[in-house]
Amino acid sequence: MVPLVYFQLLSVALFIIGLYGVMARRSAVLIVMSIELMLNAVNINLIAAASHREGTGSFINFDGQIIAIFIITVAAAEVGLAMAIIMRMYRNRATVNVDEIDLMKW
Amino acid sequence: MEWAWLIPVFSFAVVPLIILFGKYLPGKGSPLAILAIIGGFVLFWVILFGFLNATPDTENCHIAEKTGALTCSYQRTWFDAGFPGTDNDVDKRVRLTWGIIIDPLAIAMLGLATFVALMVQIYSLSYMKGDARFDWYYAFHALFIAAMLTLVLADNFLLLYVAWELVGLCSYLLIGFWFERPTAREAAKKAFIVTRIGDVGLLIGILLLWREVGSFSMADAFVAAQSGAMSQGVATAAALLLFLGAMGKSAQFPFHVWLPDAMEGPTPVSALIHAATMVAAGVYLVARAFPLFAASGDALLVVAIIGLVTALGAATIALVSTDLKRILAYSTISHLGLMMLSLGAFGYTAALFHLLAHGFSKALLFLGAGSVMHATDELDIRKMGGLRKVMPLTAILFSIGALSLGGIPILAGFWSKDEILIAVNDHLHPAFIVLTLLTVLLSALYMARAMFVVFYGRFANAQEHAHESPPLMTITMALLGVLALFFGFMAFNWPGSYEGIGTFLFYDHPEGFHFVWWLGILSTVLAVAAFGYAYLAYVKRNDGLAGLKGRFAGLLRVVENKYYIDEAYQWSVDRVALTFSGFVAWLDRAVVNDVAVNGPANLVRRLGEVLKLHVTGHVYSYALAMALGLIGLAIFWWIQSV
Amino acid sequence: MSNFDQSALLLIILAPLAGALLSVFLPRGRPNDAWYFAIFVSAITLILSLLLFARYDFSAGGYQFARTYEWLDAPLNIDLSLAMDGIAAPLVLLNGIVLFGAVLISQTIKHRTRDFFVLLLALGSGVFGVFVVQDLFFLFFFYELAVLPMYLLIGVWGSSTDFGSFVRTKEYGAMKLMLFLVAGSVLIWIGILALYVAAGQAGSPTFSLVTLGELSQSGHFGPDFQNWVFPLFMIGFGVLAGLWPFHTWSPDGHVAAPTGVSMLHAGVLMKLGAFGIIRVGMALLPEGAAAWMPVLIVLGTVNVIYGAISAMSQRDLKYIIGYSSVSHMGYVLMGIATLHPVGLTGAVLQMFSHGIMTALMFAMVGAIYERSHVRDITVLNGLMKRMGTTSFFFAIAGLASLGLPGLSGFVAEFMVFTGAFRTYLPLAVLAVIGAALTAVYILRLLARTFFGEADPQWEHLTDASPVEKTVGAAFVLILLFVGVWPAPLTRVINVSVESALGLF
Repeated sequence: MVPLVYFQLLSVALFIIGLYGVMARRSAVLIVMSIELMLNAVNINLIAAASHREGTGSFINFDGQIIAIFIITVAAAEVGLAMAIIMRMYRNRATVNVDEIDLMKW
Repeated sequence: MEWAWLIPVFSFAVVPLIILFGKYLPGKGSPLAILAIIGGFVLFWVILFGFLNATPDTENCHIAEKTGALTCSYQRTWFDAGFPGTDNDVDKRVRLTWGIIIDPLAIAMLGLATFVALMVQIYSLSYMKGDARFDWYYAFHALFIAAMLTLVLADNFLLLYVAWELVGLCSYLLIGFWFERPTAREAAKKAFIVTRIGDVGLLIGILLLWREVGSFSMADAFVAAQSGAMSQGVATAAALLLFLGAMGKSAQFPFHVWLPDAMEGPTPVSALIHAATMVAAGVYLVARAFPLFAASGDALLVVAIIGLVTALGAATIALVSTDLKRILAYSTISHLGLMMLSLGAFGYTAALFHLLAHGFSKALLFLGAGSVMHATDELDIRKMGGLRKVMPLTAILFSIGALSLGGIPILAGFWSKDEILIAVNDHLHPAFIVLTLLTVLLSALYMARAMFVVFYGRFANAQEHAHESPPLMTITMALLGVLALFFGFMAFNWPGSYEGIGTFLFYDHPEGFHFVWWLGILSTVLAVAAFGYAYLAYVKRNDGLAGLKGRFAGLLRVVENKYYIDEAYQWSVDRVALTFSGFVAWLDRAVVNDVAVNGPANLVRRLGEVLKLHVTGHVYSYALAMALGLIGLAIFWWIQSV
Repeated sequence: MSNFDQSALLLIILAPLAGALLSVFLPRGRPNDAWYFAIFVSAITLILSLLLFARYDFSAGGYQFARTYEWLDAPLNIDLSLAMDGIAAPLVLLNGIVLFGAVLISQTIKHRTRDFFVLLLALGSGVFGVFVVQDLFFLFFFYELAVLPMYLLIGVWGSSTDFGSFVRTKEYGAMKLMLFLVAGSVLIWIGILALYVAAGQAGSPTFSLVTLGELSQSGHFGPDFQNWVFPLFMIGFGVLAGLWPFHTWSPDGHVAAPTGVSMLHAGVLMKLGAFGIIRVGMALLPEGAAAWMPVLIVLGTVNVIYGAISAMSQRDLKYIIGYSSVSHMGYVLMGIATLHPVGLTGAVLQMFSHGIMTALMFAMVGAIYERSHVRDITVLNGLMKRMGTTSFFFAIAGLASLGLPGLSGFVAEFMVFTGAFRTYLPLAVLAVIGAALTAVYILRLLARTFFGEADPQWEHLTDASPVEKTVGAAFVLILLFVGVWPAPLTRVINVSVESALGLF
């Protein structure tokens, strides 16, 4: 069995790439994609942790997978919402560059 | 006598009737007011005879402890305040009463007030005919006289103060009766505010007495003052505070300024104010509270000095004034000063006798002036002259009033003035009698001047359309004229049961009529000389006067400007009071509101403006903040776990 | 005890509240319907308040019509207990009268009429609640219910005025009023919680005024505790009573408020503050009260003088009356601070008298403003000719305010002076002088605005409407009645003064 730490390293790497993407990219679409990356990093982490968990008897613990499916569902909804907002934004401002968008303040 | 309270109640009762229904009644409700005062006048006689028959054994009557006069009083509770209960504890409750007192002083005032008010109201029927607010005039009149009658009947200070204020209110309403005129409006305001300043003193005095005595009863206060239960200092303070109120109402220096302006009201109102109601109230108060003043000798001296200053100062102004009603107004102030002086000199009887004699004469003079005004629409005596040719009755009656107040023997004013001179001579420093005699001379001089200039001498052509006044006016004047002529004889002890006014109206002990020959002759000489000189100067047009005027031009200007007292008041109101008030209003807006209230609000807003700068609105800066927060938390937990 | 007596107090609170709720279902856009309904509701409360006052047995005294409705058990111990004593009785009557008058006068409100009356009636319900409730939690609840609608009433239906050198918008007035009053309530709430906790330490925590009163009598609240809690109530309630220097919301609030709201605001609402000091501060914390009263009487005297002097140089009618309210509430505070039975009776009577008088003044000013759209006394003049009845009523209210005997103001002020002369002589003298200052600004106002030559520019003004005349005449009659025969009020107040003074 592959040791848990490799999965975790992969997860951290993906997460940091995603975080970097969120902060560095200017296109709103790429930021949403980076967020997806971060969510998937979390999913990997959860599933890996669940499958490496010490089993109790013959029963395998599915907690991680359940949460991962939740996350995928929520992420799908979130992407739908985010893309809709981005579309509206593009319609209104003809740009998806977040530098030019600072509506989220007073 | 227990029905004496009806006297003011009659007049009080007709006030709402006239206000509400006057428009629909015959004579716009004036007959109601006159009936009420006739009722009061009749009741006055009933009470007078009832009182003369009363003895100390009569129910509710006794010999008052300090004044020595027979006094009857009737009480009824008004309301209680404070803890419920009955005992009289100054720290627990106060009981307020409607109480009336009937003693010689009250009876004399009742007679004066009801009679003069009756005359004035009948006179006004004719004088005010056709006025748009005829009904209001009679309503205010009735209220005025009702308040005055309550004032003289009150047996406790609180009721007195209530009536006192109502008298002030009515003078305000009547002086400002023609409120469309700015001068009348201002005069009314001035009268109310100036007298109100005095009233503050009165109220403080009353409350001070309550603090010491625990009741508002006058009798209790006087007993406490005389028995020494109240300290000398408190008695003096209370007496002076009461006197402050009297100064305001009786137009004593320096509160005299409202009275000359008060002639902006209808002339019959001036007659009422000057003779029977408003100004008499001050003298009445000092007389009523005389035991208190007597307990504090210092207070009496102050009364005398203020009285003398007022009498002399007002007489000089009257001498140079050119407005007929103003001359009479300053004459009133001067005579009120003499009454105060007399009270200050223990001349209790003299002061009250003069109050009555002056009341009748002055009412007569004012009604005469009203008659002249009615005929000529003019008040400037420089434009009048020789009116006796067109209005002979008015001329004769006015002359009786003038001679009476001028102090010509056998007329009422002579006898009362003589009593005052005796009192001043007996009790005060010689300087007082000298200055009083000077006042007597001046008062004869200005009365003579007014009389000669208006009615005698060359006929002024501008007054050709003038005519004698209607009978209602002349008849009322004639009745007052009879009193001005003969009232003085009340002073003597006549054969029979009557032993002179001094045995009826007295303080401490009754005294018979007495006459000091040298004073009587001296004052007669002064008065006759004054009238003679005025005759020469104003009727014969002797030129000596012009030279005299030239020599004292500077002094004349000061006197003509009434010693600049009005200006001083105006200055202090404009510059001091309004400036201070403006300053406080500014303080309230600029400091309390703009700094203390808006200040913190603005501070919060500024702070927000600075703090909001870190909110950029960019998605990535929020993300960075979240990331940093996460890292920070991770480090925190790591450090904690180590 | 009849059924009426048992439920009257609950009824008088619920009637306007139910009226407010039912008003919500009235059709929109028919202002007269809303007005008629509000008249109907306030007439019921007026009758109830009259009945309550008449049925209060002054020979027995104490709290009457008592009834407790249990709400939350231990450990919270919150019940809706109602009772009325002789101090509350005249104030309940006052609120009934002024609420009815304010509703009548608000005939002219045409914008969102229904909403206006909903808020006005809710406010009235809150005021009744404060006067008769016996539980601090509900006292605070009703207090807020009385205060909060003011914000909307002023902010929505108020008027903004440009004074040249500065502007007062209705939003500013509403905001300032609300912030001051809420700051005051914070202090009150802290004080209430302190009492609650202290009661908990003594046994079980409670908001009940009766239980707290017993604890106070048996000495459970130490002097230190009383000395720090009392000022919370004094200032917290004092803010609403217009205590200097926290009075500044009041004139600005008046200037912005519509007529009916001004009437309730100055007529009743400011009395809640003074009432709170008596009911909560003095009754529960007598030692704290005794320690702090010298401060209160000094501030009260400042109120009297400061308000009068400020009023002297104002030009806006509503500012003049606003500052005059500050000045007159000073007498109330002084009367309370004397801790003298006569002074306290005077204070309560002054609350009643000032409530009627100032409501009358605002009603008449409203009538003038409605027609001329001006409140500047240097612009208005000679109104006596055009608006005789309005001017007459205003003049009577003015005379009552300057303490003319025969009108209610005199009796009340006089009693306050009497108490103060016995306890704080120099301040009492100052207050008497303050009364004379009132004469100066009132007469100045009367002379400028009502007397003088009729101005052609006001030729078009019409006199008061029948409704305004009715309200004015009724209020004038009350002023006269109380001025001539105050016994019906004083004998009711007297019996409760003793218990209000607690240990004294």
